[in-house]
Amino acid sequence: MKRKAIAVWALMLALVMVVSACGSSGGSGDKVTINMMHLWPEGTSKTQYTLVKEIIDSYEKEHKNVKIKTEILENEQYKDKLKVLSGSNTLPDVGLAWAAGFLEPYVTANQFASLDDLLQGDLKDKFVSGTAEAYALGGKTYALPVELNIVPVYYNKEIFAKYNLQVPQTWDDFKNVVKTLADNGVTPITLGGKEGWTGSFWYMYLVDRLGGADLLDKAIATNDFSDPKLAEAAKMLQELVDMGAFNKGFNGLSNDEAKSEFNNEKAGMYAMGTWEVPNFTTNPDVPQEFKDKIGFFRFPTVTGGAGTSDTWVGGPGVGLFVSEKSKVKDEAKKFVSYFIQQWGEKSVTEAGVIPATKVDTSKINLPPMFIDLLNELGSAKKVTLYADVQMKPGAAQEHYKLIQALFGKEITPEDFAKKTDDSLKAGK
Amino acid sequence: MDKVMSNKRIIALYVLPSIILIMAIIYIPIVLTGYYGLMRWNGIGSMEFIGFDNYSALLKDDKFWDSVMHSLVFALLSTVTLALYLIVALVLTGNIKGANLFRKIYLLPMLLSSVAIAQLWLKVYHPTTGILNTLLVSLGFSDPPAWLSDPKYVLGALFVPILWQYAGFYILIYYAALKNIPNTLVEAALIDGATPRQIAIRIKLPLIMEVIKVTIVLAVVGSLKYFDLIFVMTGGGPNGHSEVMASYMYRQAFKAFDFGYGSAIGFFLLIICLVATWVIRKLTETKDPIQYS
Amino acid sequence: MKVAVQAGMHRKDVASRSIASKVGSAALYIALSVIAILQIIPLVWLLFFSLKDSREIFDLPPLALPRHPKWENYSDVWSAGNIDRYFLNSVFITAVSIVLTILLASFVTYAVTRMKWKLSSAVLGLFMIGLMIPVHSTLIPLFSFYQKLHLIDTPVSVILSYTAFNLPITIMIMLGFYTVLPREVEEAAIMDGCSVNRLFFQIIVPMTVSVVMTAAIINMIYNWNEFIFVNTFISSDSMKTLTVGVQNFVGQYQTNWGAIGATLMISIMPILIVFLLLSNRIVEGIAAGSVKG
Repeated sequence: MKRKAIAVWALMLALVMVVSACGSSGGSGDKVTINMMHLWPEGTSKTQYTLVKEIIDSYEKEHKNVKIKTEILENEQYKDKLKVLSGSNTLPDVGLAWAAGFLEPYVTANQFASLDDLLQGDLKDKFVSGTAEAYALGGKTYALPVELNIVPVYYNKEIFAKYNLQVPQTWDDFKNVVKTLADNGVTPITLGGKEGWTGSFWYMYLVDRLGGADLLDKAIATNDFSDPKLAEAAKMLQELVDMGAFNKGFNGLSNDEAKSEFNNEKAGMYAMGTWEVPNFTTNPDVPQEFKDKIGFFRFPTVTGGAGTSDTWVGGPGVGLFVSEKSKVKDEAKKFVSYFIQQWGEKSVTEAGVIPATKVDTSKINLPPMFIDLLNELGSAKKVTLYADVQMKPGAAQEHYKLIQALFGKEITPEDFAKKTDDSLKAGK
Repeated sequence: MDKVMSNKRIIALYVLPSIILIMAIIYIPIVLTGYYGLMRWNGIGSMEFIGFDNYSALLKDDKFWDSVMHSLVFALLSTVTLALYLIVALVLTGNIKGANLFRKIYLLPMLLSSVAIAQLWLKVYHPTTGILNTLLVSLGFSDPPAWLSDPKYVLGALFVPILWQYAGFYILIYYAALKNIPNTLVEAALIDGATPRQIAIRIKLPLIMEVIKVTIVLAVVGSLKYFDLIFVMTGGGPNGHSEVMASYMYRQAFKAFDFGYGSAIGFFLLIICLVATWVIRKLTETKDPIQYS
Repeated sequence: MKVAVQAGMHRKDVASRSIASKVGSAALYIALSVIAILQIIPLVWLLFFSLKDSREIFDLPPLALPRHPKWENYSDVWSAGNIDRYFLNSVFITAVSIVLTILLASFVTYAVTRMKWKLSSAVLGLFMIGLMIPVHSTLIPLFSFYQKLHLIDTPVSVILSYTAFNLPITIMIMLGFYTVLPREVEEAAIMDGCSVNRLFFQIIVPMTVSVVMTAAIINMIYNWNEFIFVNTFISSDSMKTLTVGVQNFVGQYQTNWGAIGATLMISIMPILIVFLLLSNRIVEGIAAGSVKG
């Protein structure tokens, strides 16, 4: 019997060894393998997935010795895994990172390589101004953006027409629109407040229109949230909540749930990044009659406020980084440069992603909403980077909570400003 | 007998592989975690030793204590609901036709992953189109609460799916334990004229006391480190009103990039679990485990 | 005899009691059925969910039939999702982990409950504490550990993690059953000169089939739906499991809910079938055990 027990153990051991033998894969001689991680799974982001694959295929065709291996993860899992990998110094050679606050810990830990040589060389003057800068720290740029979004307010033209509403130019107009819709039992604005960043858009715009385009950037950069306009914007937001501007129970709803109220024409307005535009233009799964009803407008100005209507909330989304510890750093950089150049126009025409590189709208064929937005972007005076991206990770988490509390009327506008100030000063 | 049953080589053969495994995969990592708790570390860069700063900050962190309270509420509610599961298991092991079928059906929710369960319950609780509020409106409540965004209701609303999800698990354990009681004992009691209720309380319950104790520990510890459903359904919101220890730890370590602080929370969570288990053991202490005779 | 005499003396009493008990048992069945319906709904819901598109999922009430059943959700998933590969990986990892866990847990539980040695309760405590450790706080140390052993991106890392983290709960479940096994059987066997190994494999293990099945079901559910370890330790697409496969349909800005539903539906089928088969064995196991006992 003892022998039997030992035999069982031997069997287990053998099993484990077989399994591990299957798992290890050997690299070979001269060939260069670049590992790349991205967040566009085929199941949801087929167009981006295909475009990445095309670029890789053509790069591999041009560079016979290079093999590019990809690992694809969903957004949130991607972020978590990136952190685990860097915690044990095993980042992929090439990957995607977000700007500013997200980037900072990686850069200070010396995980990302500086890409200034590319910016001075092959990619000189290719980017829309202000986009690559969002990935800069201490004068060096550590990632190069592949997408750029701004946040317009989308609206349902049919609902607006039914109640004789015009696109609002000023905050008073806007409140009037909200009031009319609310009085008629239509949800004026749909908001997925469970994810704090959605509410943050509204707050950011009010700060911008009230206190001017640079107020928020300056407040976050100097860790000083004491400007009274910052509390006043919070107060205006709570007034909007009091008017019944937002859908019922918004603080418990995800962005997807909230979006469906707009898509099902139960809500009049929805503020979201331009990544939604394909759903209102090219997405074959969305009925054309719905697409025809959707328009967008600039966030209205506040009378007496310092802001103008041609500044936007938005910013570059993900950008390509090269790992500082990569064994094939030079090859990886070459690939990144190639990728950015190939991505350019193709991303907007094939994948509906607005790239951070300049696009000549006169030469390409796109749905009108895309062209309009690209032109808005071209003439924008400023794009203010998302507040949560600007903030350090700890403060960003706190910001989400405070935005929920503000919208949920759990704190006063003054406390909101005070607590934001505290979390910025904590320096995490 | 005693000599055979205390053969050291056999004991080692039976126990050592498992001990080595949990040492390597559970204990060394958690000790490292306790050690990271002494560091200022964002999980990426270099560590800086800061002594007990993270732990003392934790003791003063109101948000952390809120999350502890929420976890304790879940633990308490879970323990109380064990009684419900036990009653169902007792009923099913009585002479009920179709008991086998019922038992199988009750376990079905356990088979679903938390992602699926969360999606389902989000649709139950949706403030306007959800099953629950549609029902309430048709019953005449004109303005039913928005369950997951109202600080007053969110904890209770989150507990119901947990209760529902784990029903099958505990019923299965109780059922198997009750079925393990030799029929002769029950038959003898029946002959003595005992009612089913008397048999349940006087014979069956004492015999499965060890199993009940184990399930209490499982329920409490499971609740204290519960994460999945809460994280998907509310993300700890609104404004932290449904944050529990594990979600707070995850947020600090992985989202706020404060791995040192997150580790301190993880270590503290372990200590709270230990204390809770010790308290349960003390409260449920009996002399000797009962043996079938 | 006693029963018959009593029945004769209280015939009237018994008659009225039987009406009451009929009403009572009707109420009981209604209650049991209501619970059963509540537990079955999610499967029905998931089926409908998997046949809708992302718009309908949020637009229609959860239990409404889809307007045009989208069977292509299934074909999309099958062609785009690499599902067959994930499926095999899930089966392999789950099966190996269950066998390992049950075997190790049986050894430990037996040694701790039936054999006599000084450290037995300390060892048991070691496993109990293992139950309290939150998975998230072990991730980074574990990752480094597997990396040093070159086990990252192999199923071994996942299997070892599942086994280690499921050992405590499996031991807890088995504990209550082992403590009440009759001593006489062991005594008799040892008198006959039976070795401990033989006693364990040929007498004890068959007696515990019911709890082994219970533990296997629970292990299966945990492993099949586990997500964090696979996501962290596995990077090659060819080694991922179904739970991670589901994530392929969650996008940076868009989520393909219909495909998620289809994947969840595909992934629940095998576990449902195995569950229904295994769960019968719980009862059979008890019968088998009592014959030998």
